[in-house]
Amino acid sequence: MSEKMIHRHDKAAIFIHWFNALCWIFLTLTGLGLIKNDQINPIGAWWPSLMRSIFGSGEMLLNFHIYVGLTWAVVFILYIIFRFKDSMGFLKESFSINPARDMSWMIKKNVQLTLGDKALTKMGMGTDIPPQGFYNAGQKLFAQLTVVAGLILAVTGVIMYLSTMILNNPTPVAWSRTIHFLMAGLAFAGLLVHIYMAAISREERPAFKSMFSGSVPESYARHHHELWYDEVKDKP
Amino acid sequence: MKKKYCMVIDSSVCIDCKACMVSCKVQHKVPRGFWRNWIKNSDPDFTLGKYTSMHFQPGGCMQCDNPTCVYACPSGATFKDDETGIIHVNEDLCIGCGNCVKACPYHARYRHPVKRVPDKCDFCRERLDMGLLPACVDTCPTKARNFGDRNDPDSDVSRLLREQETVRIVSRPVDTEPNMFYLSSTMPMDWPGPVEYPAAHQAMVGVVNPLVKVAVGLSGLGVAAMFLKQLFTSDEASHEEKKEEV
Repeated sequence: MSEKMIHRHDKAAIFIHWFNALCWIFLTLTGLGLIKNDQINPIGAWWPSLMRSIFGSGEMLLNFHIYVGLTWAVVFILYIIFRFKDSMGFLKESFSINPARDMSWMIKKNVQLTLGDKALTKMGMGTDIPPQGFYNAGQKLFAQLTVVAGLILAVTGVIMYLSTMILNNPTPVAWSRTIHFLMAGLAFAGLLVHIYMAAISREERPAFKSMFSGSVPESYARHHHELWYDEVKDKP
Repeated sequence: MKKKYCMVIDSSVCIDCKACMVSCKVQHKVPRGFWRNWIKNSDPDFTLGKYTSMHFQPGGCMQCDNPTCVYACPSGATFKDDETGIIHVNEDLCIGCGNCVKACPYHARYRHPVKRVPDKCDFCRERLDMGLLPACVDTCPTKARNFGDRNDPDSDVSRLLREQETVRIVSRPVDTEPNMFYLSSTMPMDWPGPVEYPAAHQAMVGVVNPLVKVAVGLSGLGVAAMFLKQLFTSDEASHEEKKEEV
């Protein structure tokens, strides 16, 4: 029995998602390898040493990080220019917040996913998770985080890239490094949950599949994104 | 065997001829207005008497064993060479954040105005590779600057360190453990500044790094809790629940 599928992502959106994923993973791994300082190294000296031996030297590691980062930024800018309407739609979708519904979703969904429905009932909240639009509150929060972090990472990255070419004042470079690390760290914290939800969580599996096929089953759309489903169910 | 290069300076014979500063400048093409090494002087003593004097004190990067510049560098572009004890700047890995320039209490580093990376004394690495002495040592007419390997007991510096009383000029509150030794009568002694890390570096160490660790830790805990919950509830049960809700 094949269920009716509902279109959710087009090919360009799927491409930019996986392009972004590959770049961010590569940039996170190489970026961590660039921090060679015992005071601030988050995971220990073995990682920078490993990365430097893989890439041959610290300079090569830095070059790969810089040029993959620049490629990422350029492709993204082109994507936004050529798909301006869709990109603005994405921004509007992920930044439109309904405080009551989103807060309630955030609290209830987190309790449900970690402790279960019984705990929800025990806490006196009921298991009625508020209906969600194209993105649920968690996806919106992660989207907001990636947009803000991506923008700041790109700007601070370019400042550091240009630092030895045109900048005469080292202070913005020093701060760029600190902020770049902060943003990458926060994005990584969000990414952990994002990856879990997509690749490991049982309930969200149709969403993961839709990141390849572009469509989700009708029942999934109705249950997980009810408001969106109501909007699109009558469209052909 | 590993080398431990150091400089032992007899400032009592320095005549302030500045030959060391000039030869260094020529050797390394140090831009106008900047110096890799220097000669400081004590306040002149003009009282009447036999020993009226002024003291000249040659200096340069102290090649510290407790190097605050290395601690301030985020990427390892400034590093202490294990084989020689010399502190180097890897210009290709440096992105010019300037942390190390501020963190040096001896003001031994400057930001190169064209390359926009820090530059400093490296005991003339290229000359050492060719078997030559550092330019400043080679050119000093009174042998105020002595250079050599402290781990070699027959070297000039080992002999001087053994036979004479020496002092190290340290900053406060951190003892930088410099490898520049002065024979004990040297002056002035009070010129190093405090060890100051730039605000961006302090924020990184004190706030941003712990914050990121907490954020990633909490997120990891949440994911682990969700994963455990999923492990211990059966596939069927969760689907049933969903259907009821629908």
